[in-house]
Amino acid sequence: MKKVATYCYQCVAGPDLLTVKVADGVATEVEPNFSAADVHPGGGKVCVKAYGLVQKTYHPDRVLRPMKRTNPKKGHGEDPRFVPISWDEALDTVAAKLADVRARGLVDESGYPRVAASFGGGGTPQSYMGSFPAFLSAWGPVDMGFGSGQGVKCYHSEHLYGELWHRGFTVSPDTPLTNYLISCGANVEASGGVAGVWRHANARERGMKRVQVEPHLSVTGACSAEWVPIKPKTDAAFLYALLHVMLHEAPREKLDLEFLYRHTSSPYLVGANGFYLREPATGQPIVAAALEAKETHVSLETGADGELLAEGSLEGETAFAKLVAHMKPYSPEWAERICDVPAARVRRIANEYLDAACVGQTIEIEGKTLPYRPVAVSLGKTVTNGWGGYECCWARTLLAALVGALETPGGILGTTVRLNSPLSQRQRSVRSGPDGLMGHPFNPTDKAHWSAQPNIRNAYRSMVPLVGDNAWSQALGPTHFSWMFLDQTPPGLPRVTLPDVWFLYRTNPAISFWDTQAIEERMARFPFVVAFAFTRDETNHFADLLLPDATDLESLQLIRIGGSKFIEQFWDREGFALRQPAIAPRGEARDFTDIATALAQRTGLLEPYNAAINRGTLGVRLGDFALDTARAHPAEEIWDAACKAASFELSEGKEANGLAWWKEHGLATRPFPRTAWYLFPTLAVKGLRFEMPYQERLLRVGTELGRRLHEHGMTWWDKQLAEYQALPAYKDFPGEWEQALVAMGGALQDYPFWLLTSRSMQYAWGGNVGMQFIKEVADNVAGHSGVILNAGRAKELRIEEGDWLEIATPKRSVRARAVLRQGIRPDTLLLLGQFGHWETPVAKDFGMPSMNSLVPMSLELTDATGSAADIARVSLRKAA
Amino acid sequence: MTTWAMVADLRRCVGCQTCTAACKQTNDTPVGVQWRRVLDMEVGEYPDVRRAFVPVGCMHCDDPPCMHVCPSTATRKRADGIVTIDYDLCIGCAYCAVACPYQARYKSSEDAKRPDVATKCTFCVERIDAGLAKGLTAGVDPEATPACVNSCIAQALHFGDVADTTSNVSALLAENQHFRMHEELGTGPRFYYLWDKAP
Amino acid sequence: MSFGPRAWVQQHWDARAAANFMLGGAGAGLMIAAALAYPDSRAPVLLALGMIAAGLAAVWLEIGRKLRAVNVFFNPFTSWMTRESFAALLVFALGAAALWQPRPFLPLAAAAALAFVFCQGRILRASKGIPAWRAPQVTLLIVSTGLAEGAGIALYFTTAPLLVAWFGLAVILRAFAWSRYASAVQSPALVAPAKMLVQIGTVGVLLLTLMAFWMPDLALLAGAAALVTGLWLKFALVTRASLNQGFHLPHLPVRGAR
Repeated sequence: MKKVATYCYQCVAGPDLLTVKVADGVATEVEPNFSAADVHPGGGKVCVKAYGLVQKTYHPDRVLRPMKRTNPKKGHGEDPRFVPISWDEALDTVAAKLADVRARGLVDESGYPRVAASFGGGGTPQSYMGSFPAFLSAWGPVDMGFGSGQGVKCYHSEHLYGELWHRGFTVSPDTPLTNYLISCGANVEASGGVAGVWRHANARERGMKRVQVEPHLSVTGACSAEWVPIKPKTDAAFLYALLHVMLHEAPREKLDLEFLYRHTSSPYLVGANGFYLREPATGQPIVAAALEAKETHVSLETGADGELLAEGSLEGETAFAKLVAHMKPYSPEWAERICDVPAARVRRIANEYLDAACVGQTIEIEGKTLPYRPVAVSLGKTVTNGWGGYECCWARTLLAALVGALETPGGILGTTVRLNSPLSQRQRSVRSGPDGLMGHPFNPTDKAHWSAQPNIRNAYRSMVPLVGDNAWSQALGPTHFSWMFLDQTPPGLPRVTLPDVWFLYRTNPAISFWDTQAIEERMARFPFVVAFAFTRDETNHFADLLLPDATDLESLQLIRIGGSKFIEQFWDREGFALRQPAIAPRGEARDFTDIATALAQRTGLLEPYNAAINRGTLGVRLGDFALDTARAHPAEEIWDAACKAASFELSEGKEANGLAWWKEHGLATRPFPRTAWYLFPTLAVKGLRFEMPYQERLLRVGTELGRRLHEHGMTWWDKQLAEYQALPAYKDFPGEWEQALVAMGGALQDYPFWLLTSRSMQYAWGGNVGMQFIKEVADNVAGHSGVILNAGRAKELRIEEGDWLEIATPKRSVRARAVLRQGIRPDTLLLLGQFGHWETPVAKDFGMPSMNSLVPMSLELTDATGSAADIARVSLRKAA
Repeated sequence: MTTWAMVADLRRCVGCQTCTAACKQTNDTPVGVQWRRVLDMEVGEYPDVRRAFVPVGCMHCDDPPCMHVCPSTATRKRADGIVTIDYDLCIGCAYCAVACPYQARYKSSEDAKRPDVATKCTFCVERIDAGLAKGLTAGVDPEATPACVNSCIAQALHFGDVADTTSNVSALLAENQHFRMHEELGTGPRFYYLWDKAP
Repeated sequence: MSFGPRAWVQQHWDARAAANFMLGGAGAGLMIAAALAYPDSRAPVLLALGMIAAGLAAVWLEIGRKLRAVNVFFNPFTSWMTRESFAALLVFALGAAALWQPRPFLPLAAAAALAFVFCQGRILRASKGIPAWRAPQVTLLIVSTGLAEGAGIALYFTTAPLLVAWFGLAVILRAFAWSRYASAVQSPALVAPAKMLVQIGTVGVLLLTLMAFWMPDLALLAGAAALVTGLWLKFALVTRASLNQGFHLPHLPVRGAR
């Protein structure tokens, strides 16, 4: 028996460091890597999903040989008739297709890449696909914008606005110090992984009060001090009312006036046209002498496209004063009517938050004195995406800014960056931008540089300035456009085409996206689909080739760990961890790196492929350990070089441990300063301000974008353009989905329920529905076997536990068993996770639907960031 | 005299079932057999409702009803408090299963190692014995600690010697308010639930 | 009110185990009735032994490791199941002897049968995990229903006044035991069988028994009614009313601040 150190990165809250027991060449048991207890922010423990890896390895329905489709007809009801083929035949087939593409041009007649690739799970497949990114990089343009869950299933507005405001692609409370946390639908006990659970359990024991604001009593609600059952999708109104209390009811001294004045754009003067008043000489915004003031200065007011709106002696009002006036109507009494939360309760929570903020106090961390503001607001899915996402993210960031709890100890912190660079160093991504604010890689909206020709089908560069333009931007654009516009491309965009070759890995959009039937119909038309496959599933059902990669416990890869990462991964260390074969690959499964090398070789791209690896595509620049670019290297050789480079980087040139050392030790780290968790000191040193509360930049960008679109005859984005407000007003957000119902031909009274979903910790991101082992343990948590509805409401409707129910929109319906609980609003239904499988082994027998097929995919439900939310109005009746 | 006990901190438990999974894997239990599992309980009525996650399993009672009823003497209690089952003696009558007020006992014909006999949480007794033999401390050193405790991602599960006043579990019991399940039945369960700080 | 995992009906003992309580109890009751009212007969003894054997065979089918059944004898110190098994051995030994020589062996066999059915009552009482079984009142209920059922069967062999009187007494004792038990245990699963036990199995049976002094054949009907209602009650008690203890939290955890 031996124990092999490796990692699990099946979900975004990873990686978890573990060991696998291997007896007689058989993996038998997963355990925490106990030697990582002091390194990892979750005590080195391992999430429940990792325990499914043994069963995954030995899954009886695994694809163990390359397979090709023999039924040329594709469709839900068509048997693909996959037959086994040799690796040579499989690779030759792919290479031939790719050679043909290269011969005809890397982009098609619409200007879109002929090759597309989709990866699931918030970037986690990258920790399993070895050197495949180097192959894609060597290849040239690839469309990575066919969505499989992005937008509708992620914290989309938080990703985009969070990164703009404080480099917070995801945003977390500073849990080890936070004392008061308002959590609007953030289900950290289900989505925060080991680190999230560990840190929050410690915080609870310490006495942190968490108020969970959510329509159902989630796992996180269960673990919170208070549950506020809010009406779905009205969180912005709740947050606005908190702001109202803080700005209009609490004494001003309760706010961190110093922080607001010195470290935010609050004292900038705003002119009559809504743009900053600027010094005529420098063009810089004028800072008023006080936070709340009206001042007159000889100045300029410049609008969109550099247009001079006013000059001379102009009167302006501070951004803060404008905010105060803006928030006036949003009283708790106003919010009560919208959110169904009593005004007194809203007021109490606002005051508790203020009282807990410790304005004026400091804390010493690693010898540095920093503000101590132990209050935070976290937001969850369905709150931070789709309409209302902007308003919620803005209100949340402002709630922090008002008391100085933005990027300071105890407050809210960004975790990582994905749109800015460098990806692995958040602090270094802070760059000076215009107007004394942080820079952000907006896609240009000026006339000369706006991209009228999208580089990929979802047109993120043209439509969403905020999303930037790197590899992640593609997957964070309006990724449903790639699907939606296949049938009808709106005016102004080149006709959206099918990609000639589509690569798939660890993703199942036929289940995980919205309006999944529409996705299936379109997928069936893709001419050539290559799926790296573990088992058959609903998406690779439409594939032409299934390629078995060596799975989690069978293959080799080195990844960066530590620093600060998604959700709650705040480490005191940083370094690298190795995933290594605990056992030999089963069947003919091949290490992904070897597959990528073989593809590079067969497509004549070996040289650029090796060069991409040398450049750092594997996560570490190889430097002195660079590969000979002229020849193909086996996976062990490639990762040996990566290991040496990583070791070299970590030890600052003192060591260069190769693969053998890493196989023995599994990981290596060095200290990561805790002060690096906080961005505030960095901004202060650089003399930058947080862009709060006034969004002059967004107003400008939005106005320019509108002009560009209209110049190109594109009026179909006008509704989204309205989101670009400097101070966002509350809108009837639930009304968007009510209108969608009416548009489908439904009457509100016939569809009285809000259908929501919530992450299941046992499954979220994991791609592990095929594991019976996981199903068994997940079933101990309510909601894995049916739709959760309020027990009292069920009684009125004469529904009993276990009854089969039909949940319907005017277009589609699904069936689920009734799970009666008290912890859910009477007007809300909850379908946990996303199931509804019809091909994936084991999961297809769950009898558990998904809400995804019920969520209508439409432009109307798409917000300005290109996302929507997974929510729908539905009817409910006993199934016949 | 050593008395092993489990302590579950209900304030910390999130019902993730990681312990359930770790137990299943370590002990190689068949489908549907969960020596350790975590209940998902609701108390109250909307909107005044609370939800709690409660790890359960064999409580290794001081006065185990399962042992008294066992006709074959397969179920016994060790000096250190661990209630054991001799799979070679057990006839699989399941009398112990109906005698246990904690629904902790299973019998499965799918159990390859222990077919058709009574099974339940053993406190990972082999692991503890092997660990102690190496001079390790149970509940502190992973090698001498039950798999569920090792796996717990919320530090909700603890294991140790309640007879040792300096042990980890004794400290937890001294610092916090706790109860035991169905204490009124007089079984003397060795599984403590923490729910609040000591007043 | 808790909507968490509520108590559920135990799945460990099914109809096979119930059969032991039904056949074994009635068989033991028959042995006792025979000894009282029909002391020289062999047929009821044979039937009683057959019934007890059938009950034990049924429960043997339920155990997981059938070839190890002999291990059941290992714990006479605390296990009522072991004691029941020894009592059964005694019943068979003395019963066999009674078949050979009813006097003096039949009364001894009856005494062993009483011990056997008493053990059955104690088996349930020791099942601490099942509230409907562990009630102390269950022992008398099991014993008395065995006596009433057995006497009911015995009526098919003779309707001698002594037996009829014993039968009536046993039925009254059973009703008394039920009322004591019902004051301690309320179970929805027992409502229907209890109604039958009281209305038909007791009131009806006693009326029929009285009338049997004029129309002896009615005793047979009374015996059948007492038998069927008692068996149904025991079947329901073992397989339907056997909710386990469930789980209960005397305190809810404090989650962070109060």
